[in-house]
Amino acid sequence: MPLVALVGPPNAGKSTLFNRLTGLRQKVANYPGVTVEKVVGRFTAPGQGEVEIVDLPGVNGFSARTLDEQVTRDVLEGRAEGLRAPDALILIVDSTRLEPQLMLVEPVLEIGVPTLLVLNMADELAAREGEVDDDALAEQLGVEVVRANARAGDGVDRIRTFLTHVAERGPLPPRPCPVISNVTRDQKGLSLPVIDAFAARRRHIREVGRKSEYRPPQPSKLTQRLDRVFLHRFWGPAVFLAVVVLVFQAIFTWATPFMDGVEWLVASSGEWVAAQLPEGWFRSLVVDGVWMGVGSVLVFLPQILILFLFLGILEDSGYMARAAVIADRSMYRVGLQGRAFLPLLSAYACAVPAILAARTVEDERDRMATIFVAPFMTCSARLPVYALLIAAFIPDTPILGPFMGARAATLLGLYLLGALAAVATAFLLKRTLLRGSPSTFLMELPPYRVPSPRSLALRLLDRSKIFLKRVGKIILAVAVALWLLAQFPGGPMDPPAIEDSALGRVGKVMEPVIEPLGFDWRVGIGLVSSLAAREVIVGTLGTIYGIEEADEGSIELQAVLQQHLDLGAAVGLLIFFVFALQCMSTIAVMRRETAGWKWPILQFSYMLSLAYLGAFVANWLI
Amino acid sequence: MKLPMAHPEGYAGPAAAVTELSLAQVGLSQEVELVRIDLPAEEIEPLLERGVLPGCRLCPVRFSPSGDPIVMVDGVLLALRKETAGCLCVRRPDSEEAA
Repeated sequence: MPLVALVGPPNAGKSTLFNRLTGLRQKVANYPGVTVEKVVGRFTAPGQGEVEIVDLPGVNGFSARTLDEQVTRDVLEGRAEGLRAPDALILIVDSTRLEPQLMLVEPVLEIGVPTLLVLNMADELAAREGEVDDDALAEQLGVEVVRANARAGDGVDRIRTFLTHVAERGPLPPRPCPVISNVTRDQKGLSLPVIDAFAARRRHIREVGRKSEYRPPQPSKLTQRLDRVFLHRFWGPAVFLAVVVLVFQAIFTWATPFMDGVEWLVASSGEWVAAQLPEGWFRSLVVDGVWMGVGSVLVFLPQILILFLFLGILEDSGYMARAAVIADRSMYRVGLQGRAFLPLLSAYACAVPAILAARTVEDERDRMATIFVAPFMTCSARLPVYALLIAAFIPDTPILGPFMGARAATLLGLYLLGALAAVATAFLLKRTLLRGSPSTFLMELPPYRVPSPRSLALRLLDRSKIFLKRVGKIILAVAVALWLLAQFPGGPMDPPAIEDSALGRVGKVMEPVIEPLGFDWRVGIGLVSSLAAREVIVGTLGTIYGIEEADEGSIELQAVLQQHLDLGAAVGLLIFFVFALQCMSTIAVMRRETAGWKWPILQFSYMLSLAYLGAFVANWLI
Repeated sequence: MKLPMAHPEGYAGPAAAVTELSLAQVGLSQEVELVRIDLPAEEIEPLLERGVLPGCRLCPVRFSPSGDPIVMVDGVLLALRKETAGCLCVRRPDSEEAA
């Protein structure tokens, strides 16, 4: 089947067009060995033919300076694992920013396969009194040119015709891999040739623009008006704060009923499954191991969906770019930058999508710093643990009258502690491992646009698939492993007392190490199990203390904990959870994104040392 | 139009030195022409990719709340830090004739 690659600068509408062309028939491809997320979908031609379409990350150039550029380049040059070299290309540009975006045209044409140039957002160009003669442009560049408005579906028919031709023609015969040669960083020193190459290309594009009677659009009135508020000296930061508060509110308040709903669904379906199976070890494995393990992850799905919905709206509307500009100065002071704002905000739901989103941080050292500090943000998996321990050990006494009680203050304190650790760590990193000249920050501010519900919905679907796949597998494996360890010796027919089981022995071995923190072997097992995912400790403690259906609201579980832990140890445990990197999914995604074990190992040891030290001090002081 | 980069060792005699300034010194709505980028190679490239090339026209349209400039380049709004703006050497377009 022929392969067509969708190329273009960020924010030109690639994904919208991709969704138009492939409908819901997309799959998230996850090729091993490459640190990549390429989205591959299928287009069925009116005849019988089919075309595979790959949606690539947006790029401004092909220097392979960023991961996104690397990915795009690998696919275009036919070096991406699991994908053939593309048989045709669709270059999609935002026609309201035509000239700068056409800088991509020359390197793309060099690849030498049939190419279609899509002038997207043509309606906006016309509305803002811009003009271009697309026939002249086609003649100048020597490619087919189509005007489109991918969001409304205008012009998509002509793109389908192009794809149908590609399908009828079939795959191109094997050929030597093209090399995108426009700009190389290997050239010595400051390399004037780089500037010259760009200048020559720019002159050429300007000439093309002139010959095709390109008239740039008037600045968008709406954008000017909104920016007057959103980037205002006083209102700008105020709106920014309001947006952050709104996102938090959404994640923690609005998501709760949905999360309760999912929890109820998992529990009742678990009961139903249990009723269908004969009593015995198999039922125990399926229900206690698999069902509950997977359920504990599913619960976070509503929260993650709501977060991504908000992030999607913020991104598609164009506000996120402004938020990055506003956040840049303060983040720069601590060794990060404005582009890290989005990943770090996402990290409050889950560090895994946050680390992936760090790819938008162009500067490599800043990207590493962002990845490194993201797990310090209080992700939602920590919440059940905090909720359980706070309810068990912190009295519900008012501190600020009716506004804030001791429990809420503790929770807030834990969030702040995590954020503080992130700031301190970023500061430290930029003075040690990631030292270097100050990073640059460049942010294109796209015109404001109304987000398309269709694109948002498709993206949510996509995101939830990635999340469930990535996190679900690990949790499933650990839940089964824990269950198995608790059955031996003796076997599932005659399970041993938890203390004598293999699991119990692991706890006993750990006891001397964690004793200075005030933890006993039971907490030790909990800590080991929470390596898979933090919230697993709640269920594990329930199992160990023999409490059925233990969740963070369980009064029985709180009562037993009060007997077995003193206040110092409980606070120590809370602080341990603020700092420790107990999340295999995070470690796995970090290994992929940093291409090696060095960073994840460093990260894990660093966070574990902080956690141990923090818990030790808390236990010693209280 | 001559590209100033073609004359690396000072492009236009003493008159130019007076008219040459950094982008950070340019006020709102004043269009200037980029002369030179005084930044290391790896920091130049992202600028070049976005059309910030010697010879291009830049116009600061707004300042961010922290005072960093937002400039219009080729019809595109680009936010930069004032440190970066300080390394972009520009001149007023009319001074071309004067020089």
